Amino acid sequence: MADMIKSREDKLPPGASVEKDPKYPAVVSYTLKNGLKLLILEKHFVPTVSFTMIFKVGNVDGVQGKTGLAHLFEHMAFKGTKTINSTGYEKEKPALDKVEKAAQALIAGEASAAPAKEKLEALRAALAEAEKEADALVVKDEYLKIYTTLGESGMNAMTSTDYTGYVVSLPSSRLEAWMVIESDRFKNAVLREFYQERSVVMEERRMGETEPSRVLWETLGSNAFTTHPYRNPTIGWMEDIKRLTRTDAEAFFRTFYVPNNATLAVVGDVEPAEVIALAEKYFGDWEARPLPGRDYPVEPPQRSEKIIKVPFKAQPALRIGFHNPGMDHPDIYAVIMACEVLTNGKTGRFYKNLVEGRELALHAWAYPSYPGSRYPSLTVIAAAPKAPHTAEELDAALMAEIEKLAKEPPTRWELDKILNNYEAEMIKQLESNSGIGMNLAQNEQLMGDWRYDWKVGGELRKVTPGEISEAAAKYFNRENRTVVFLKEPR
Amino acid sequence: MAFSSLPANFAMPAALPKLGGLDFKPPRGTRAVLGNGLVVYLLKDSTLPVIHMTAYIRTGKLYDPAGKIGLGEMTAGLLKDGGTAKYKPEEIDRTLEFLAASVESSMGIEEARADLTCLKKDLDAVLDIYADVLMRPVFAPEKVKLRRDELLEMIRRRYDDPGRAVVREALRSFYGPSHPYGWRSEEATLKAVKREDLAACHANYYKPNNIIIAAAGDFGSDEEMLGKLEARFGAWPRGEVKFPVLPPVRLEGGRRVFHLEKDIPQTYIVMLQKGLKRHDPQEYPLTIANEILGGGLSSRLASEVRSRLGLAYTVYSYFVKKPDFGYSLAYCGTNPETCGQALAEMLRQYDLISREAAPDEEVKRARDSIVNSFVFRFPTPFDLITERASYEYHDYETSYLDDYIGNLSKVTPASVLETSGKLFKTEDAAIFVIGDSKRFDKPLSGFGPVTELKEN
Repeated sequence: MADMIKSREDKLPPGASVEKDPKYPAVVSYTLKNGLKLLILEKHFVPTVSFTMIFKVGNVDGVQGKTGLAHLFEHMAFKGTKTINSTGYEKEKPALDKVEKAAQALIAGEASAAPAKEKLEALRAALAEAEKEADALVVKDEYLKIYTTLGESGMNAMTSTDYTGYVVSLPSSRLEAWMVIESDRFKNAVLREFYQERSVVMEERRMGETEPSRVLWETLGSNAFTTHPYRNPTIGWMEDIKRLTRTDAEAFFRTFYVPNNATLAVVGDVEPAEVIALAEKYFGDWEARPLPGRDYPVEPPQRSEKIIKVPFKAQPALRIGFHNPGMDHPDIYAVIMACEVLTNGKTGRFYKNLVEGRELALHAWAYPSYPGSRYPSLTVIAAAPKAPHTAEELDAALMAEIEKLAKEPPTRWELDKILNNYEAEMIKQLESNSGIGMNLAQNEQLMGDWRYDWKVGGELRKVTPGEISEAAAKYFNRENRTVVFLKEPR
Repeated sequence: MAFSSLPANFAMPAALPKLGGLDFKPPRGTRAVLGNGLVVYLLKDSTLPVIHMTAYIRTGKLYDPAGKIGLGEMTAGLLKDGGTAKYKPEEIDRTLEFLAASVESSMGIEEARADLTCLKKDLDAVLDIYADVLMRPVFAPEKVKLRRDELLEMIRRRYDDPGRAVVREALRSFYGPSHPYGWRSEEATLKAVKREDLAACHANYYKPNNIIIAAAGDFGSDEEMLGKLEARFGAWPRGEVKFPVLPPVRLEGGRRVFHLEKDIPQTYIVMLQKGLKRHDPQEYPLTIANEILGGGLSSRLASEVRSRLGLAYTVYSYFVKKPDFGYSLAYCGTNPETCGQALAEMLRQYDLISREAAPDEEVKRARDSIVNSFVFRFPTPFDLITERASYEYHDYETSYLDDYIGNLSKVTPASVLETSGKLFKTEDAAIFVIGDSKRFDKPLSGFGPVTELKEN
């Protein structure tokens, strides 16, 4: 094994390094001159490879009135380039500009104080006509068809408030094909079919509006935060989505889709030296640009408890959000451990005492950091009562469990169990190529080190029972919480 | 009905490097049978110090007695949680959770499953619990009550998420609420289940000759692993299993529309048509037809309803094989104001594929898509060996998996057309809609006779 690693290492270019500490997987790291970071991990059971490209840009980086832009751009990244999805970009460009002009006229018309119905109809018709002309110059879904033919699996993209990710797995013989297509995608994206896709996103938002859990999450975020942009839902507010333009999305693309804002993880049946050589060949001329500052308004301390009741035709459920100090604050490890003491498994306190025991809850979970990790965020308890018990009864019981934890430190057994599970998770997550790819790329790009989760494991080991109680008292208290109840309207 | 032009020709861009062939032959693993008939599939993999195991138990929700629907689900769900002859429930939870191991069992429509995951160092301890859970569950009364109460709460919540409820309710209307393929557990059927029923259900189905186990991971040699299984399961006596006779599927002909009124911002549409019995060779052309129609983001449904018309975020199709007639399903979520437009387009796409041969290029692309991504069926050794076990469980030929690509490669535009013509008859489709009819662009009655339903 050591010899094999040695011979692989000899083939690597200067600047590449292999992780040799047995605590971590043997990840090869390399950074292109333009700042694009590469992480490569070899796995050879099947001849496949998983790609994860993470950009440090999400809804948090949007501006007032344009929420949802990061997510809408993510959809647009499937619409091709100057050469893909196009019958010829020279002909197409004026047609796309005509669409944009018509769309902006319609948006302005709709925003005017008292829009005349006939005038709006005429503007809509003009947009439809311009779209029809532009569509005739499109090679429909060519980008998707290429990947279908290549044998993709799990092609997807995801936007959160913190990041945007693009993922796909392919047979490993397609390594170079991926490099060709994706380097073109991020260097030469053309945002065609923009307004049709904006309609698709509005449907995605409507879908969320029918799901009780999404309504709860959105209401929690928008009420717990007053100042920091974490208050906005990633999909965007409907009124904002309606006004987003292709021009907005292009400016967003130019600002944030630069190599110095991205990490690429390549996991699977590949040779690292070859991955690096191909990345140099295809991504090397991708131009770096300075990024804007990311110091957004800081959320002021919450001064009193907030209680929100959302009428919704579904059985009751609740979310409790406590402001946490952020992932770079030393208290966060005790906060994470407190969450685990409460919810780790059937021996966790919520399950043992509230799901079993008093039979108040159908379920109760804790999430250390919502909606993101780049800035101070919320630690959330999500729960649903079991009839005949009410959400209010359950809320009181959850708070009583928390108060008990704040007074009496947890046992050593509880802590050891949590640490054993964390360690096992670190091993099991290596089983899935796409899973570990996502983990490595996200941690490198957002938290500054792909080893982040392993390092957190080390920090969790140091947390004492007393510190867990102190953290529960300091953060999980009434003044610092926002509670959202979902209630059926009477 | 007018059909739009067929999709334009597509060719791979010249800039791409020449694509090499794919010649992955999935490993066979080892198959062994213990003296009592327990079948074991093994695939050793020492990449990580982890072991995964699953058991297929030949039973299923479809074998529940009509008055006790939910019996099988409660039985499977309580194998571990209800404790065993040797271990109290609390002892099991504490041991497993401290070791970061899991033993979980669950009930599917056509099978029960019992899964194990553990670190290599804990295999013996966890396997002891797993074996006792499968062979000697005792169904502690307080745990039976807890489980039943949970299931009752889930019944109260079963319409909360209409995008999920729509599929269940559509199948219920399609097969009929009293056929096992369509039924669901109800308050009364769950309350009718007694602890003795659980014990009797376990005693009938959970026998070694009725179980297939699949395991992968770092368990040493096959012989070692077989020895561990023999030591724990070897003395479990074989026995006869009584399976109830299921009523045949009877599907009404003619278009039927079911509507459930709900004031929600999106409307959910599910369309169902008669599908295939499990071993019907039409599976191959149907697989290609479905891939073309609604298999992915570049399929016809996605391309038209989502990408071109912007009517939906979610639109797709799939098919399910069953021992008796399965089904083909199309799904769409759309604005209530475009419900009629989206539904008309879905119907039009089914008509189109069943009346006009798909272009060679489109059939080839659909075939390539499945052939070239075949390897992703088994991203891990455990996925692969589980897949092998599942084919034996469902009585496929032993070479089914290895011949799959070859069989798919024989599909032509003519066979896709022939199969689509036989199976896709929109005049016999059952359409199920949950949504706010006040806002629909067209009344549903324009699509067939409507049965109004209530959440029940």
